[in-house]
Amino acid sequence: MKTIRVKKGYNLKIVGSPSHLLKKAEKPTYVALQPEHIPFVKPRLKVAKGDRVALGSPLIEDKRNTDIQFLSPGGGRVADIRFGPRRVIQEIVIQLDETEKKIDFERYSQNDIDKMNREQLVRVLVAGGLWPLIKELPFRDYARLDFLPPALFVRLGSLEPFHPAPKVYLPGNEQLFRFGLSVLNKLAEGRVFVCRHEADTESTSLLDGLINLTYTGNYPAHDPGVLLYRMKSSPQENCSWFVDGQDVVLIAHMLRNGAYPTERIVTLGGAGARQPKHFIARMGAPLSAIAADQAENESWRYIQGGILSGYGARPQSYLGFSETALNLLPEGNRKGELLGLFSPGYRKTTFSRAFLSKLNHQELEMSCNMNGSERACIACGYCTLVCPVDILPQFTYKAILAGEVEESLEHGLLDCVECALCSYVCPSKIELFETIKNAKAAFYKEKEQVRR
Amino acid sequence: MKRIERFFEFTRRHFEKGGKLEKLWPFYESIESVFFAPARVSQVAPNVRDSLDVKRYMMLVIVALLPHYAFGVYNVGYQSHLASGLGTDFWPVIWTGLKSVVPIVVVVYIFGFAWETLFASVRKHELSEGVLVTCALLPLTLPPTIPLWQAAAGISFGIVIGKEIFGGTGRNFLNPALTGRAFLYFAYPVQNSGDAVWTVLTGAKSAPVDAFTGATPLSIAAVTERFGDVHASLADAGYGVSKLFFGLYPGSIGGTATFLSIVGAAFLMILGIANYRIIFGCVIGLLSTAFLLNLLATESSMPYLSMNPMHHLMSGGAMFAFAYMATDPVSAAHMQVSRWIFGFGIGTLTILIRVFNPAFPEGVGLAVLFMNLFAPLLDHIEIKIKLRRRVPNV
Repeated sequence: MKTIRVKKGYNLKIVGSPSHLLKKAEKPTYVALQPEHIPFVKPRLKVAKGDRVALGSPLIEDKRNTDIQFLSPGGGRVADIRFGPRRVIQEIVIQLDETEKKIDFERYSQNDIDKMNREQLVRVLVAGGLWPLIKELPFRDYARLDFLPPALFVRLGSLEPFHPAPKVYLPGNEQLFRFGLSVLNKLAEGRVFVCRHEADTESTSLLDGLINLTYTGNYPAHDPGVLLYRMKSSPQENCSWFVDGQDVVLIAHMLRNGAYPTERIVTLGGAGARQPKHFIARMGAPLSAIAADQAENESWRYIQGGILSGYGARPQSYLGFSETALNLLPEGNRKGELLGLFSPGYRKTTFSRAFLSKLNHQELEMSCNMNGSERACIACGYCTLVCPVDILPQFTYKAILAGEVEESLEHGLLDCVECALCSYVCPSKIELFETIKNAKAAFYKEKEQVRR
Repeated sequence: MKRIERFFEFTRRHFEKGGKLEKLWPFYESIESVFFAPARVSQVAPNVRDSLDVKRYMMLVIVALLPHYAFGVYNVGYQSHLASGLGTDFWPVIWTGLKSVVPIVVVVYIFGFAWETLFASVRKHELSEGVLVTCALLPLTLPPTIPLWQAAAGISFGIVIGKEIFGGTGRNFLNPALTGRAFLYFAYPVQNSGDAVWTVLTGAKSAPVDAFTGATPLSIAAVTERFGDVHASLADAGYGVSKLFFGLYPGSIGGTATFLSIVGAAFLMILGIANYRIIFGCVIGLLSTAFLLNLLATESSMPYLSMNPMHHLMSGGAMFAFAYMATDPVSAAHMQVSRWIFGFGIGTLTILIRVFNPAFPEGVGLAVLFMNLFAPLLDHIEIKIKLRRRVPNV
């Protein structure tokens, strides 16, 4: 078995790690799909307010490729469609019926899958609405239908605080995982890498013999982009695909049971969660259903996704299409303590060595405060020390701002795995990650236009 | 605590938009944010940010410089009392030192902040903390006898020409403090070089007492007669190893303290503020070049060639410049290997300027400025080499 050692990167020492307890969240009255937060998709509505929908009936399609549809996470009535600025579709809210109607898809056994050819399988997955769970590097859009990937990575677990642990979502689902993996093997014609962290021994024992790539190192060593960067030997490998471990189970569930999945395992973490733990949550459930027992007397930021790469959401909003984590952090919009600048900082987390917290191995509390104000780049070089794919963010972002697209590509712009560590460590508080991410997305959109 | 908070709340409105002193907002903000970190929160990913900011980064450099000020005050007073034939009791010495050092520092800070505030308010951004360090560094490199108007001219040149006309902190390619120092050196050589300027004379004396020469170790080494021995002439003038190491001799206000510079360098390297590659590169460059010259030295050659490398390292402001000037992250090389070369170049040039150029007894400042010019080229080459190793992704 191959082992990849990732030397760069950085692990946050932050409180609020979810326990491995699993609790079933209550059934919500409303669920929603949020097209706004599905990257690159240009949604076209297939329903109107007041329509009745069943579990698995299409809500939107992607204007770029109308075969790709996003299905309803529940059966009931479309209660509301919320639009944001410039008519962007924010939420399609569905009021659930007491007994939900659902669309019946065809069921497949292992035998059926083995007999199918690749094109048929793609069509089945697309029709089942779960194709967008398969992502393509380097842009992380959903995978192209007519493309044979050079490799496919299955990511078990995440090093980012905080995501569901494989040892919570795998037990009981080993058979489904095995089945899902056979589907992926067909899609990638056998070039599938199932990756786990070296310390994650539970996955190895649960998935006997299926894991064929091990990595060590700090966040974001788990990211398929990082693993690909360390493995690739030719530019052809850049467009590899990846799937999250839990999504393999969902895909298998859909194919085997012929029903659009309704549940996934989600973590509630961060300092704001009174009892950080795992939840079995309804897909598209309201955040309040998961964060019912959050701590009070502080304004909390609801972060969908990991603490670094996730986005802040309104507490009234819903779980995103492929999100598996909700983290609550203190907003931190208050002034610092008197002359905090000069404190030894035994409890202040940092990548640098400029605080005593370097000697403190406890998990520490962090807020969303910027911890400083924006300055010009002073070339401290922390971003280059932390970037897992050896981009030189301090030079790359200058190339981007100067409009030098060619140069930024040469710097490895597209290798960026969107871990956001460069912005995290920057003492000048420059939005390096935002600049790089936007440049990458702009490049992709231009490339797509040319292709069409 | 509450009182300070109330004071800022009370004064704040005058500086905010629409207030009378709106234009001075950057200055006000820079003071307030030293006392209380601003309440700004992240708007985009990542949600959390590192605790380190530029303010802390620069403050740590100033903390490392404080011992130099303490030493500088004492040394200026001590040399002054020696030269003027007064007693060397502790408190009178400190008092004399304070009288010469404090006005220079105050003038430098006033002018430095004035320029920085002017540029910040025209450009509508916040005051950069780099100016704090520049203003702390410049006085330590000046002779204690410098006229105050020259100190003001030096910091003005350093900040405006060395930094602001290129766009401010982060966009300068020269070390602003050294730019100011070099300007003074070339514009006003009488007050900024030679043997007489390093000692303040007190007690209505216009000439030092007989026993006192005032010559610095580097000028002694440079004028040692042919066939003489540098170490002997240094020893004759009272410059033993410990004296050179601790820096208690006439010189710039705080730059002679090799011992404190090593402590400061270690402090900054441990905290990750100064890059160890630059400092070690400098030291290795200096020692190896001096050693090479030792090998070249013959009986009939210049005695300076045979000066011990360790003597070179300990005399003058070499270690001070290596620790605080060369490590300015903005004007130094930014890539790891380039930093080694950058440092090595500084060390080498320091020796070459010292030994072969009789016009400049101390060459380290010019060496740093010279290598500042080469840093972008070194970076460019290293980046090109690094990028060639990547698997292309377009």
